Amino acid sequence: MTGRREDHDPGLDPFFDAARQTAPQPEADFLARVLADAEAAQIRTTALPAHRWRARLAELGRALGGWPAMAGLSTAAVAGLWIGIAPPAMLLAQVDGWLGAAGPLVIDAEPVTMVLLTEEAM
Amino acid sequence: MPLDALSDLTDEALLALFARGDRVAARALTMRLTPKVLAHAYRLLGRRDQAEDVAQEAMLRLWRVAPDWRSGEAKVTTWLYRVTANLCTDRLRRRGRTTPLDAIPEPVDAAVTPAQALQRQARADALQAALDALPERQRQAVVLRHIEEIGNPEIAEIMGLSVEAVESLTARGKRALRAALGQRREELGYTE
Repeated sequence: MTGRREDHDPGLDPFFDAARQTAPQPEADFLARVLADAEAAQIRTTALPAHRWRARLAELGRALGGWPAMAGLSTAAVAGLWIGIAPPAMLLAQVDGWLGAAGPLVIDAEPVTMVLLTEEAM
Repeated sequence: MPLDALSDLTDEALLALFARGDRVAARALTMRLTPKVLAHAYRLLGRRDQAEDVAQEAMLRLWRVAPDWRSGEAKVTTWLYRVTANLCTDRLRRRGRTTPLDAIPEPVDAAVTPAQALQRQARADALQAALDALPERQRQAVVLRHIEEIGNPEIAEIMGLSVEAVESLTARGKRALRAALGQRREELGYTE
């Protein structure tokens, strides 16, 4: 808002002043509608759209070395999972060797059982 | 952040906060800009119901553009005045030029007697009727310059014209207003 005095007009200024003084004011329900639009727009724009998720995944893939590295990582993950589910006999024998002849290692997660076993031994 | 804490922020800074999901910024922008947009739309259209529709649509466009707002390119109000004027132009084309004014609720002003308030409203209505009779671009230039009190360079940006073209439109518009209102000065309480 600048320099209205430069083009001051005594004939018209009283009318312009009256227009400013009687400017229509927004009523509460109208402001509420505008604010509701604002909040709805915020929800839409701040939720991450699907294409932005894809962009972020692509960025992560690039950071880890691109598709060749991602393929190697995936292969290793699948192989690890498979060994966990169905370990080969050769691998079990090898693990037994590392753990010695003490037999299978049993871990009881229930402390009450452990206490009972200890009392029986005494 | 409380609403008061945002009062010193520029429109652009508030819009950036809005785009990041700040609900207080949404409220602050609504309270700050909606009255300006509504008043401008009313002065271009002369009808409150249509001015509200246009103001709501202009604000909605602002909300939508907020995430992509390019900082430093244009003032938020400049952009809003331009969008509002374009929406008003569409309305005016659809309805034709001359339509009667709606009754406008009178703002409450305790310092003004009812007689003064009536006279003020009569002057504002007379001006609005004269504005409605102007060609659209002249009306817009006069409203922006003499009621919104915006400088000519910014009006040029809003209207997509040169400063000289704005000055010419304003001068022609004021000449027509003087001719329309000159004979009613006495009736409207101007005796000087």
